[in-house]
Formats: sequence, C-alpha cells, structure tokens
Amino acid sequence: MKIKIISVFFFMIAFGASFAQDTIQTQLDVITSEIQSLKKEDKTHFMLRGFAQFGLDATHDNINFNMTSFNPVLLWRQGDRFLFESELEMEFINNELDIHLGFANASYVVSKGLIVRVGKFLIPFGTFGEKFHPSWVNKFSTTPLGVGHDGIAPSADIGIEIRGGLQLGKSKLNYSIYGVNGPGIKDGTDEPEEAGMLSFENSTDNNNNKAVGSRIGFLPFANSSLEIGASGYYAMPGSEESPFEGDTLNEDLNYKEVSALLTAFDLSYVKIISPLKSIIDIKGQYSLSTVSKATYFNPEDTMRYSFTNNSSAYYAQLAFRPALADNAFLKNIELVGRYSAYTTPEGSLWESKQSQIAVGLNYWFTWRTVLKASYQITTIEKEGAPGEHSGHGGTTGNVFSLYFAVGL
Amino acid sequence: MKKIKFITCLIIAVFMASVFIQSCASSKEAIANKSGAQLWGENCIRCHNTPSPADFNDAQWKTVGLHMQVRANLTKDEAEKIVVFLQSAN
Ligand code: HEC
Repeated sequence: MKIKIISVFFFMIAFGASFAQDTIQTQLDVITSEIQSLKKEDKTHFMLRGFAQFGLDATHDNINFNMTSFNPVLLWRQGDRFLFESELEMEFINNELDIHLGFANASYVVSKGLIVRVGKFLIPFGTFGEKFHPSWVNKFSTTPLGVGHDGIAPSADIGIEIRGGLQLGKSKLNYSIYGVNGPGIKDGTDEPEEAGMLSFENSTDNNNNKAVGSRIGFLPFANSSLEIGASGYYAMPGSEESPFEGDTLNEDLNYKEVSALLTAFDLSYVKIISPLKSIIDIKGQYSLSTVSKATYFNPEDTMRYSFTNNSSAYYAQLAFRPALADNAFLKNIELVGRYSAYTTPEGSLWESKQSQIAVGLNYWFTWRTVLKASYQITTIEKEGAPGEHSGHGGTTGNVFSLYFAVGL
Repeated sequence: MKKIKFITCLIIAVFMASVFIQSCASSKEAIANKSGAQLWGENCIRCHNTPSPADFNDAQWKTVGLHMQVRANLTKDEAEKIVVFLQSAN
C-alpha cells in the first residue's frame, strides 16, 4: 500500500515537473518571440532631443532675464547605417518667436571610415561650432568672442560632406571634406558700415562657385585624451554682377574676383587625473579669415576706400572638476576659465578689437543639467559696427550671469 | 591684461606638460584590444559629461551611438563596441 502511495506521489511530482517545464517552455517561447518582434521594431527609431538655456545677466545698471536657447533636435535612425538629424533654433526676440533651421541632414555609413552626409549641416570648421556649442555642452552661457553663430566662420550651410574616423596604430585620425553653397560678401549697398564682411547667412548661392573645406583631426594617444585639428575653407563670395549696376559712378566696382580663405587650429585635451580625483578639460581654437583686397564705396563721404581684410579670433578654456571626489556636493562642482579675443580688419568701417575674460562656477545636477554662474569682463579696444559680427558675446562690459541649461 | 594672458598660458602649459606624461604612460594599450566599457570611459567624456548606461534603452543607444559616430568622428569599431557595452549595462 505504502509503495503504491509513494509511487503515485513520485508520479505526480514527475508529472508536475514536466508540466511546469512545459509552461516554462511556453513562457520562454513567448518571451523569445516578443524579443524578436522588438528587435524587428528596432530597425527604425525616432528620438526627440535637444537643449534649452535660460537665466539672467546682471550688469551694474541692469538685470535682464534671458531665454538664450530652446533647440529641439530630431533624430531618426533607419537600420544601422542611416541617420537623419535636424535642429530647430527657437529664440524669443521682442515678444516674437523666431525660428531657424539649425541643421537638417542625412548621414549614411558607407564603410568603416566613410560616412556621406547631405543637407544642411554644422560646418566642421574648428570644433566649437560643431562639437561644443549646445548649451549643456558649452561650459559657459556665452560663446567665446568671434566663434559661434555670428563669428568670423560659417556655422552651418547646405551641401555634401564625407567624413569618418580611422585607426592609425595606437593613434586615430578623423577627417571631413565638404562642398557647400558658401558665403556672400557684403558690398555696402545695404549696410555701408559692414562693407567687406562675409555673410554666412545666405541659404541660396549667389554665384556658381561652391565653398570647399576640410578638417583633419589627430588623436595621438591611444586613450583619445588629446585631439588637435586643422581646418581650411575656401570660397569666392562675390556675385557675378556689380552690385552698383546702373549707378554710373560706381559701376566699375565688382567683387566677383574676391576670394576668402579661412583657417583654424583647434585643440582639446580631457583627462581624468586620478591622484587629484578630478577631470581637467582644456579646449582652444584659433581662427583666421583672410579675404582678398577690394575697393568699397562709402556713401556717407562718397569716398572709395580699401583695407586688408583679415580677421582673427581665438579662445582658450580650462575646466577643472573633482568628479571622482567622495563628497557628493564637491563632485558636481566645476571651475572654468576662458580667455577669448576677436579682431576685425583695420581700416574697415567695422574695425574692432575686443578681448574677454570669463570665469565660471558650474553645478552639475546630472550629466546634462547644469547651473552656470559666471563673471565676464569684456574689454573693447576699438568698437566695430554693431550687428552681425559683434561676436555674440552677450552683453559687453562686466557682467554676472546665472544660467540654467538642460540637455533634453 | 598681458599678465593675465601670460599666467593663463603658463597654467595651461604646466597642466599640459604634466598630463602629457600621464597620457604617454597609459597609451601603450592597443585600441583593438580595448573593451567597450573602456572606450566609453575614454571617448564620451571628450565633449560632454559621460552619460550612464541606464540613461537610455537599447534602441535609443543604437541611435545615439550612430549620432555620436557621425558627430564625434568615432571609428566604426569604437562606436559599435561602445553601443554593445551600453546595451549590456543599462
Ligand atoms: C566630439 C564631441 C563628442 C563626443 C566625443 C561625444 N559626444 Fe555626445 N554629443 C556631442 C554633441 C555636440 C551633442 C549634441 C548634439 C546636438 O544636440 O546637436 C551630443 C549629444 C549626445 C547625447 C544626447 C542625444 C543626442 O544624440 O543628441 C547623448 C546621449 C550623447 N551625446 C552620448 C555620447 C556618448 C555615449 C559618447 C561616447 C561614445 C559621446 N556622446 C561622445 C558631442 C560629442
């Protein structure tokens, strides 16, 4: 009898176990097929990201709240090789919403070291414009003088680009070569005080010449801590016809032979210094713009004049963050200093010479959320024409700023 | 102004010199042998703070990985290894 009971008992356990196994097996099958279907969905993927920055600037006679950026970024990936990215730049000026297309382009990974990109893209001239400008990446609430949107170099343009990164032994090399519509040149007919300036804001080309450019970056160390880069950009910015067509006095003035050569050198060094439990971050860029000589007309004194059309800008930035410190507060603190300078052509009506020192104290709430406090001293040796090329350094003079920036 | 310029340059020079020495010591390792985790630690910090694997799901990491491969000119191998690491650790 006992044997019977025991054998029935064993039978039940065995049956139960195999039954359980069956249910586990079916459950596993369900999970596997769900994972498979998720993987299928993975083929295309859409992401809405971007950044925003707002805060206040205080000078000795004025406190101003500012919303300096709200830039939604749209990413759309198809498979492993195709990426579409676009950015809208929204600004609130004089109670009106101003929207620009920052970029909108498609990239395709052709092979290991070759990506082709078409559309409107950030120009890899130097590094600031392409790599450090988003407000949660930039350690200051302002851009360095002369770099950034209204600087001497292009920020974004429409065209085609090839780029990529390659392994070279223990070092790395990266490159970008592109052709874009290119800049125009201000001939002084609209804004006489800006004659001779390059204007990067024209989205349709004014002539048949495309601007071409390239940047080469080199990372000598296997740990990628140092990158040095060199950029070049060449354009013929003038229109075919004289802007003074029909004006018998100035008809002979023509800018179609004017050429512009821009060069930049950049450096980035970021390293964890274990003994100091800190990260140091050094960034720098030098940009030079040389536009060939031309004769301009000044309607105010009805005189013609000419000048050597060279501009330059540079900045150096040093940041220090005890990110590996044990103290929870201390590790989110970052100290940062930046020096920048900007010179526009002597003898032009927009001649200017400025330099700026900025010191800042940042508190990082998360990796992309930061409160930035800074003090900025701008010295203007010579004042240029107001407007586009004023360097976008925010308020000039001494200013205390407190900004909150977030990567969305 | 001149003095400040000089001092800034000097500080940067000293920092550069000291960190250069450190870098040389640690640059012996070939990149091909590096793990995705190490490449993540070394590369993502170059422009912005390093995001943690937990910040995004697998599909999102793939998109971000491709975005950064384009933007930061990462090599294809680096980008792929980093994405695999981030997907395994999130
Ligand atoms: C060369 C500089 C650079 C490097 C190196 C870099 N990033 Fe980025 N990263 C950026 C910039 C610039 C943006 C902002 C893109 C934008 O808003 O247009 C960004 C944005 C992001 C974002 C926000 C979402 C997105 O795709 O815009 C994530 C997440 C991110 N990076 C992760 C990483 C990871 C992970 C690495 C390491 C593999 C990395 N980054 C390396 C420059 C860099």
